[in-house]
Amino acid sequence: MGIFDKLAGLLGLRRREVNVLVVGLDNSGKSTLLNHFKSEESKSSEIVPTIGFNVEKFQNKNVGFTAFDMSGQGRYRSLWEHYYRDCQGIIFVIDSSDKLRFVVAKDELDTLLQHPDIANRRIPVLFFANKMDVKEAMSAVKISAALGLDRISNKPWHICASNAITGEGLQEGVEWLTGQIWEYVDRRR
Amino acid sequence: MNFKRDKKEEESGEASNPFGNLEKTTVLQEARAFNDSVINPRKCTMILSKVLYLLNQGEVFGTTEATETFFAITKLFQSKDPILRRMVYLGIKELSHIAEDVIIVTSSLTKDMTGKEDLYRGAAIRALCTITDASMLQALERYLKQAIVDKLPHVSSAALVRSYHLTSGSGELIKRWVSEVQEALNSDNVMVQYHALGVLYHIRKADRLAVTKLVSRLTKSHMKSPFAVSLLIRIAAKLVDEEEKPLDSPFFDFLESCLRHKSELVIFEAAHAIINLKNVTAREINPAVSVLQLFCSSPKPALRFAAVRTLNKVAISHPTSVTNCNVDLENLITDSNRSIATLAITTLLKTGAESSIDRLMKQIASFVSEISDEFKVVVVQAIKSLCLKFPRKHATLMSFLSALLRDEGGLDYKAAIADTIITIIEENPEAKETGLAHLSEFIEDCEHTVLAVRILNLLGKEGPKTKQPSKYIRYIYNRVILEQAPVRAAAVSALAQFAAHCPNLLPNILVLLMRCQMDSDDEVRDRATLYFQLLSSGDRALTNQFILNNLQQSVLALEKALGSYLQGPTDAPFDIKTVALASVTSDELKPTVATPGILKTKPAEPKKAPVKEVSFLDEVSNIPDLARLQLGGLFKTCTKQPLTESETEYVVTSTKHVFSQHLVLQFHVQNTLPDQLLENVKVQLDVPDGFRQVAVVAIPKLPYGTPANAYCVLAWPEDLEVASGATIGATLKFIVKDCDPDTGVPDSDEGYDDEYVLEDVDVNLSDHIFGVTRSNFAAAWEEITTEREETYALSNANTIPEAVKNIVDFLGLHPCDRSDRVPEGKSSHAVALAGVFRGGIEILARAKLVLSDGVNLQLTVRAQDELVAELITASVG
Ligand SMILES: Nc1nc2c(ncn2[C@@H]2O[C@H](COP(=O)(O)OP(=O)(O)O)[C@@H](O)[C@H]2O)c(=O)[nH]1
Ligand SMILES: [Mg+2]
Repeated sequence: MGIFDKLAGLLGLRRREVNVLVVGLDNSGKSTLLNHFKSEESKSSEIVPTIGFNVEKFQNKNVGFTAFDMSGQGRYRSLWEHYYRDCQGIIFVIDSSDKLRFVVAKDELDTLLQHPDIANRRIPVLFFANKMDVKEAMSAVKISAALGLDRISNKPWHICASNAITGEGLQEGVEWLTGQIWEYVDRRR
Repeated sequence: MNFKRDKKEEESGEASNPFGNLEKTTVLQEARAFNDSVINPRKCTMILSKVLYLLNQGEVFGTTEATETFFAITKLFQSKDPILRRMVYLGIKELSHIAEDVIIVTSSLTKDMTGKEDLYRGAAIRALCTITDASMLQALERYLKQAIVDKLPHVSSAALVRSYHLTSGSGELIKRWVSEVQEALNSDNVMVQYHALGVLYHIRKADRLAVTKLVSRLTKSHMKSPFAVSLLIRIAAKLVDEEEKPLDSPFFDFLESCLRHKSELVIFEAAHAIINLKNVTAREINPAVSVLQLFCSSPKPALRFAAVRTLNKVAISHPTSVTNCNVDLENLITDSNRSIATLAITTLLKTGAESSIDRLMKQIASFVSEISDEFKVVVVQAIKSLCLKFPRKHATLMSFLSALLRDEGGLDYKAAIADTIITIIEENPEAKETGLAHLSEFIEDCEHTVLAVRILNLLGKEGPKTKQPSKYIRYIYNRVILEQAPVRAAAVSALAQFAAHCPNLLPNILVLLMRCQMDSDDEVRDRATLYFQLLSSGDRALTNQFILNNLQQSVLALEKALGSYLQGPTDAPFDIKTVALASVTSDELKPTVATPGILKTKPAEPKKAPVKEVSFLDEVSNIPDLARLQLGGLFKTCTKQPLTESETEYVVTSTKHVFSQHLVLQFHVQNTLPDQLLENVKVQLDVPDGFRQVAVVAIPKLPYGTPANAYCVLAWPEDLEVASGATIGATLKFIVKDCDPDTGVPDSDEGYDDEYVLEDVDVNLSDHIFGVTRSNFAAAWEEITTEREETYALSNANTIPEAVKNIVDFLGLHPCDRSDRVPEGKSSHAVALAGVFRGGIEILARAKLVLSDGVNLQLTVRAQDELVAELITASVG
C-alpha cells in the first residue's frame, strides 16, 4: 500500500475501483502497454499474443484499475461485447504505423460505439496512438482524422501518442482517464 | 418415541441441504453478481457452488444460458481470492462442453498455470486442457511439456493426467512428449510415477515390442510407487496372457515376486492378476490364494472385501484351491459389512459340502432383504451352481428362490432368479413340476415383458409333458386377458403347444384361440388364426411340423434368402431347403455358469452360427470364380482345422464349406517371413477318385503379415460312401520373391517356384450331417418309415457316457430331449438323435447302449432316403 492510500484511508476517503476495457487490433501493443503499469516484480519479461483475454490490475492516484486486456485477433473481436456492460472506461489502442489496417480499426471502433451497451453511456474513451517511435508512424492528429473521432459527441474522449515499450505518453493518457472517471462516477451518484 | 425422533432427524437432514430446493432461473439471476465491478468473493463462491450443484444434478443448461453464465464467470478472474479462483476453474470445466467460445479463457489460464501462485497451477492445467482443441494445443505444447517435469507433484500429475486424456484426440502430438514423461517416471512422488507410467503405456500400447521393452526395463527397476507397480502388474499380466507359454514368461516370475511385495496394494494386485490369467492351473493359483486368505482376516474392510470378492470368482474355476480358505470364510459370514458377508457365503456355497447348504441358506435368508440387487444376483448365481452340483438339494433351493421371486427387485435380478429356476428344471426332471408351478405364479405378477415371454415359451414347451397339463392353461390364458401384446402373443403360442400335445385339451383351447382372433394386436391375431386353422384341421403332420417343431433354419439366412427370392422374378415356389440351418450351439445346452442378465443376452436363435453362414455366402458372391459356380445355399460350415504347425514359415488352416452339390475348401494362408513376398499362392489337391475338381482360386499376392484365402472347389461324388470318407492330400504352391523386410518391396522382379506340403484334409460322414433338435421326437419318428437297424460292439469306449459322446461326434446328429445325459450308475441307456443330411434329407436315430464287457450298441436309423439310412448304419463300427 502506498503512502497516499494509507492517508486516504485515514481521512476516510474511499479508493475507487474501476473496470476498464482495453481493446484494439492485434499487435497494436495493448498487452505491452498494460505490462508497463504493473509493479516491477509482477511484470512479464516476455509478451506473447493474447488468446482470449487477461485481467491486469494497476493503480493511478487513488483509482484502482482492473483492466481487461482483450485479444485483438479477428476470431476474438466479436467476444469483446461480453465485457462492455460492466466497464467504466475504454482504452482503444492503435498501431500508428499500421496504416493498412486503419480502416479495420475504424470499423471495429464504430461497431463498439454503436453497441447498445455503449452507445448511450457517457463513458470515457482513451485512444493511444501507439508505436509513435516507429519511423512510419502517423501523428495523433492524422489518426484522429482517419478514425473520424470528431464524430464522437456523447462521450468524452482523448487521444495521445505513446510508446508502450518505454512508457512515453502513457502517464498523460491514464491521468486524463482518471480525471474523467472521477467526474463520470460523481455524476452518476 | 425413538421412531419419531428418527423421522424428525431425517426431515431436518433434508432441510439442512442448502441446495435442496434450488431453482435454475433464480441461480442464473444471482450469477449476474459476477458482473459487478467490485467482486464479493464469498458471495460469488456460494453462487458458483449453486451453479455447479445444479449442473451435477443433471439440470440442463441451454447454449445461451450456459454461454452467458460462462462469460460472467470469466469476469471473476479479476478477484485474487484463491477459493473463488478454484471454483472458477471448476465452473469453466463444467460449462466448457455446453457454452460457446470457451477459448476466451486460454490466456488467463495459461497465465495461472505458469504463474507464481502454486495453488492455481494444477487446476489451471486441468481447466485449460478441457477447453483446448487440437488446433490450439500446439500453441500450449511447451507449457505442458514444462509442467510434466515440474518439481511440484500436483502440477506434474495434472499435466500427465491431462496428456493421458488428450492422447485420444491428439495422440501424435503427445508422442512428442515421451522424453518429458520418461523423466516424470523417475519422480519420487508415488502419484507422479503412476501417472507417468499410465501415459507412457498409453502412447506405446499399440506397439507390442515397445511395451515388452518398457515392462522388462521397469520390472527390474524397483519402482517406488505402489500404484505404478500395480499398473505395471496389469500390463505385465496382459503380456503374459498373449504369450504362447505363459508360465515360462519372465513376466510371470515378476507377477509371482510381487506376491512378496511390502505393499498390500501390490500384493493384492498381483494375486488378482495371477488368478485371472487365462491358462493357469491350481499350482500357480495356490500362492495367490494363500495371500488372499491372509487378507480375509485383515482389520481393513477394504482388504477383506477385495480378498473375498476375488476368492468368490476363483471358486468357480478352481473350487478346490479355495476350499483351504473355508475356515477364514466362515468367520466372515457374520462380518458387519453385508457385502463381505454375502460374498463369503456365496463362496462357501460354491466350495462347501452338501451338508452345509441348509445352514448357509438360513444365514443368507436372515439378511437378504438388506443387500443390494447386485449382490442378490451373486447369491442367485451361487444357488444356481449349487443346484447343478447337488441336484438332491433342489427342494431347499427352489423354495428359497421362489421366496426371492416374490420380493421387490429389478429386471436383472428377477431374470437371474427365473433363469436359475429354468436351468434347474432343465437339468433335473424331478424339480420340473415345482419349478413350473413357481414360474406360473410369478408371471401372474411380472412387470418385465421379456421375462414373461421367456417363461411362457418354457411353459409351452415343458407344460404339456407334465402329469397334469391342464392346470397351466389358466395361468397362460390369464396373460392373454391382462397383458401387453408381446406377452399375449407368447401366451397364444404356448396355448397352441398344449393343444398340439394333448388331444384332450384341444376342444377347450380351440375355444380360447377363437376368442384370441378378436385381439386388437396384429401379431396376436395372426398367431391365433394360424394356430386355430392348423389345430382344427386335425392333420397330425401339419401340427407337428408347424407347432411342435421349431424353425430349423437360421433366421438371418432365411431373411436373406427370402429377400433375394423376392428380387428375382421367378414362378418357382420358394424352397426352404436351400436355407442354411441354424446350428444348435452346444453352449446353449451346457449348464453355463450364469452371468447376470443372461436372459437378455441369450437369443432364441443361436447368434453366432447364422452370421457365419450368411457372411461366407457374401464372400462367395464377391469371388467371381466361385460365384460363377452357382453353389446355392450353404448347408454347413465345419470347424477350422490347422494344416500346419502354428509356428512354421507359412501358417495354413482349412475350413470345409458344404454345399448340396459341392465342397468348398477355404485355405487361410499366412506368410510369416518379413523378407518374402509370395505370389500366385494356391493349394494343389490330390483329388480322390470319385471327386471332381471344378475350381481353384489363387491368392495373387501374399505379403508378410496380411493373411488371405485361397479356395478349391470339388463336386461331390454320386456314391455317398465315397463322399463320406475321404482323405485329400494338399500342397501349397507359390512363387517366392525376396524383398526388403522394412518396405516389403521385392528386390527384383524375378522369383522362384516353391512348394510346402500340408497336412491332409479329411472328409467324414459328419460333414454331411447337420444336427438339429426335435422338440417332439416321438411324433417325428412316427412320420418316417424307412428304417435300417444294426448292432455293434463298440471297441473304442468302456463306459456308456463315453460311447454316447463318440456316437454324437461321429454322426454329427444332435441329441434330443437331453437324452445324451446318462444317469449315473445305469448299465443301459437310449439316446434320441436328429439331423439333416446334405440336400435336406431328414434323419432320426435311436441308439440303445448296453454295458456288458465293453459297450454294445443297437442303432436304428430312420431317414427320408433309404441310401442315407444305409450309409449311416454302414459307417458305424
Ligand atoms: N516499436 C514499438 N513496438 C511496440 C510498441 N508497443 C508494442 N510493441 C510491440 O508490438 C508487438 C505486439 O505487442 P502486444 O502487446 O502483444 O500487442 P497486443 O496484441 O495489442 O496485445 C510486440 O512485439 C511489442 O513488443 C511500441 O510502442 N513501439
Ligand atoms: Mg495482447
